[in-house]
Amino acid sequence: MIEARNLQKSYGRVHALSGVSFDVPPGQVTGLLGANGAGKSTTIRIITGYTAPDAGWVRVKGIHASREPIRVRQHIGYLPESAPTYGEMPVEALLRFRASLHGLRGKDRRRAVDEAIDTCVLQSVRRRRVGGLSKGYKQRVGLATAILHDPAVLVLDEPSNGLDPGQITETRSLIRRLAEGRTVLVSSHILPEIERTCDRVVILAGGRPCAEGPLDELLAQGDHELVCEAGFTDHRSGAASARTIEAIEGVTAVVSRELDGAAVRWRVGFEPATISETDLRQQIGRILAGSNAEVRLLERQRASLESLFLKLMEQGPGAIEAGRVA
Amino acid sequence: MRLVRTTIGGTWAIARREFMALFRVPVGWLVLALYAGLWGGMFVQFVLVPGAPATMRPLFATAAWLMLPIAPAISMRLFSDELRTGSYELLATSPATDLSLALGKFIGAGLFLLALLGSTLPLVAVLLTLSDPMPDAGPLLAGYLSVTLLGLLFLSVGLLASTLTASQTLSFLGAMLALFVWLLATTAGRSRAPEAIGDALATMAITDRLEGFAKGVIDTGDVAFFVVLTAWFVLAASMCIGVRRWL
Repeated sequence: MIEARNLQKSYGRVHALSGVSFDVPPGQVTGLLGANGAGKSTTIRIITGYTAPDAGWVRVKGIHASREPIRVRQHIGYLPESAPTYGEMPVEALLRFRASLHGLRGKDRRRAVDEAIDTCVLQSVRRRRVGGLSKGYKQRVGLATAILHDPAVLVLDEPSNGLDPGQITETRSLIRRLAEGRTVLVSSHILPEIERTCDRVVILAGGRPCAEGPLDELLAQGDHELVCEAGFTDHRSGAASARTIEAIEGVTAVVSRELDGAAVRWRVGFEPATISETDLRQQIGRILAGSNAEVRLLERQRASLESLFLKLMEQGPGAIEAGRVA
Repeated sequence: MRLVRTTIGGTWAIARREFMALFRVPVGWLVLALYAGLWGGMFVQFVLVPGAPATMRPLFATAAWLMLPIAPAISMRLFSDELRTGSYELLATSPATDLSLALGKFIGAGLFLLALLGSTLPLVAVLLTLSDPMPDAGPLLAGYLSVTLLGLLFLSVGLLASTLTASQTLSFLGAMLALFVWLLATTAGRSRAPEAIGDALATMAITDRLEGFAKGVIDTGDVAFFVVLTAWFVLAASMCIGVRRWL
């Protein structure tokens, strides 16, 4: 649905993008990740036609964004960062104005405005001025303006930025609802949000693509870790057991955290090529049994997007290529 | 077809929003009150003089100078405010063309200018009621046409200035300074310049073009002067919007 190839953009001497390429497949929610200054907003601004790339190209629904920008914009619904809007306008008037910009008139416009108000649950504020609304409502108004013309593609730049936890949850469920039957590209640096909302991710670092692919596939390439919680008779036997586990061939690290009494929680990193998860579980079990420890928990820890992201930031661009879409 | 409908619809939607927005902010009402108040004051001072001929000519001459700060005050927020608040991003990513954006903003501001001039019409009614004999309609119409054309030209200059900066103050000062330099160069400046340059400046002299209107003569050449220059500045503003996409 969205194809970006070799996007390059500089602001003076600063290279915001240095050859970014990725695909956003139809019908999926794709997250665009990166630290501040990674090039997320610039990428989004190029896709939406706000700014032109120095080199490279973007196609939306097969339409070249530089050659036919107006046609591309007709297919995109866009929520910029912080949902800027006209604070002096009532919600309904703002939606009517936005619908008119998309060429909607008369009954079509009325229907589009009513549907957007219903979908984004804005009935109670439809006659209130946008400037007087809470941040969560402003965000919903922004989303309503983005879906007025029933676009095939939704582009959302930091939709959860500055919202409280309750508003984040509301916005998340709204985005999932809006994503039905649409292609969505959502940029954020709030990683748990992306993990809960997206089917696939594109990670940028320093204006370059770092990783791209289905979220599950990328997470499978993250760290392999077992989490173990055990109660010991004293602290010394706990520390001794940790040292013994660390000495097992294939174990990369044991991160220890003290719990209540003499209980501890270990995160045991390992290399699957050297030792299998089953073997490691058995060896840890034997060590704990030898120390008369009470095993409370021993399970595989799924890599989080946060740990994957931090690892990629350390390793830099090109760290993970396996998930890249051909 | 959809593109044409979107372009025309977009231009009108922007114009309508801009016109309404000027009445939703204090500065719009302030400018309106100031303008109507100044016209009223001048009307009492220069027109409602017992025994004097019933003409609004002195008002139109002064109104032209009044446009110097008024037009930039209207135009300063057109794009500058959108750039400052970030709402420009929504406009620039809508299906409206760059020309649609510039033209829509200009038409909206132009409609506000007409509302300003409309607020002075009760003065004409007073003049028509009190004068005997009745004043000629020709100079009255020509006078209003001259102020309208001048105001639209000044607005187009202000529109261009507002595409260049996110600061309303800079937009206001930039437009006013440009207009002031233009007026100065084509009046006092041209007499001191070498002949060739002086002649060139004379063709751009706004004050010369207004003289005909003041006498009640509507010269198509003078009208074309204002229309062409206004169109040129609106087009330049739309090009500046386009250039912004490459920055």
